[in-house]
Amino acid sequence: MRKVVLIPMILAFVGAFFALTQQDQPLDPFEEAMKQREQYLKTFGILPGDLFASQGEELFHTKRGPAGKSLEECDFGLGPGQLEGAYPYLPRYFADDGKVEDLETRIVSCMQRIQGFKPQEINRDDVVALTTFVASKSSKAKMQVVPKHPAELAMYNLGKQLWYTRAGPRDMSCAVCHDDHAGKRVRLSPVMSPQQGLGSEWPAYRFEEDRMYTFENRIQFCYASVGIPAPAFYSEPQIALTTYILAEATKAGHSFQELPFFTR
Amino acid sequence: MMRPRLKQAGWIAALALLGLASSQSDPLKAAVATGGAQYAQVILDQDEGQRLCTQYQSQLPGELIPKFIEAQKALIRYPANGKLLGDWQNGEKVFTDPKRGNCYACHQGDPKQLAYGTMGPSLANYGARGTSEPILRYTYEKIYNSWAFVPCSLMYRGGVHGLFTPEETADLVAFLVDANSPLNRR
Ligand code: HEC
Ligand code: HEC
Repeated sequence: MRKVVLIPMILAFVGAFFALTQQDQPLDPFEEAMKQREQYLKTFGILPGDLFASQGEELFHTKRGPAGKSLEECDFGLGPGQLEGAYPYLPRYFADDGKVEDLETRIVSCMQRIQGFKPQEINRDDVVALTTFVASKSSKAKMQVVPKHPAELAMYNLGKQLWYTRAGPRDMSCAVCHDDHAGKRVRLSPVMSPQQGLGSEWPAYRFEEDRMYTFENRIQFCYASVGIPAPAFYSEPQIALTTYILAEATKAGHSFQELPFFTR
Repeated sequence: MMRPRLKQAGWIAALALLGLASSQSDPLKAAVATGGAQYAQVILDQDEGQRLCTQYQSQLPGELIPKFIEAQKALIRYPANGKLLGDWQNGEKVFTDPKRGNCYACHQGDPKQLAYGTMGPSLANYGARGTSEPILRYTYEKIYNSWAFVPCSLMYRGGVHGLFTPEETADLVAFLVDANSPLNRR
């Protein structure tokens, strides 16, 4: 309980601290994030992401929903309740509902199938906390997204198609920034390609946004920033782009960062 | 009360049907529709240029380039007064505004502005090229429709999409070439 109370307190503190570090000479964004991270650890002895993970842990083991069950029966691909090392294999095909799901979609489908929630009863904040918790069990793990099942291959191909789609009022596609200009900066933010390890940071606490971000949140953020209305959570474009990015990063041999990550 | 809801439900059903009907021929449409009506609208409603740049992953085959450039040139509109050189001070506002030019996302401009992107070439000291008619015309047309020079460039067609008006485009030209613009001061 104590930990849960800490979240709003830490979040209130953020604005003030962020303002303090604005300088004439812009700091490298990566160094800036590391400084902020150190400050959190010094002040609170814990990072915001870890608070979300422990909130998720509590939710995971609590009997909830019309069926009054916990999520311990949820199979993330390595067997029911097997959380350790499950995240790096997602998105993957699940035979029980015949769908390719990323971590957050899998959590939602388990909340429906096991706990009996209706889709509209599912609280996004709960899904974010649960996603943070499950992913934290694969901190620094090697990525393992290798599409094999026909449904996984279809998802990968859809993701690839969307990756190259030029659209919207700024004529953008993911590829023109994240392939063709990878290694360059947008303002001060360096842009990576999947081959350089794009996608290794999520879920992460973003101190500039003052929120926990999942992979789907991050995709939505890039779409919105180029003027394209973002695809809905748990939709096929989200799962497809996640599959494509992580499959390409897997081929290049990347691992996840410390999860949950702390970033700008 | 019933009406709008029915209308919306009808629309969603129509979209779903559309998705289903075309799912054999085009699985993209059905899948994109799951992202929501607004998302699907923008992704599927590409103009001819965006469609070609998607199809060829932004690397147009040589034989398509002359026609592509011709079509992009035809999209360029000019200020009513015919002047391609506007007010550099307003140009600076449009250049900086994230909702209009947002040029600092990719370009260095005023050397005092340190938070600039590096995806495009630096525009500092662009005025060294002078203010001859061909330079003004190239700069105007490039900013209004970047694809009329480099097909499928990362640089968006701000004028074509109405992110800034023809008059504001002329102001941007002035920000780039005017000797008094901070871009060209040393
Ligand atoms: C105009 C350039 C641009 C476009 C277009 C763009 N992005 Fe990004 N993307 C960025 C920038 C800048 C960042 C932030 C990098 C940072 O914070 O260091 C970013 C970050 C990301 C990240 C998180 C970075 C990480 O390490 O995991 C993901 C994932 C991502 N983008 C996916 C996408 C997808 C998917 C699309 C297409 C729908 C897309 N982006 C389109 C510029 C772009
Ligand atoms: C998303 C990235 C991006 C944005 C935003 C952008 N540009 Fe560019 N710009 C580029 C790239 C990449 C090039 C080089 C390739 C080309 O010419 O298309 C370029 C080229 C140019 C050139 C030609 C330079 C030369 O040496 O001939 C001019 C002029 C220019 N940009 C002006 C602008 C202005 C003004 C804005 C804002 C209204 C702007 N750009 C916004 C990416 C961008």
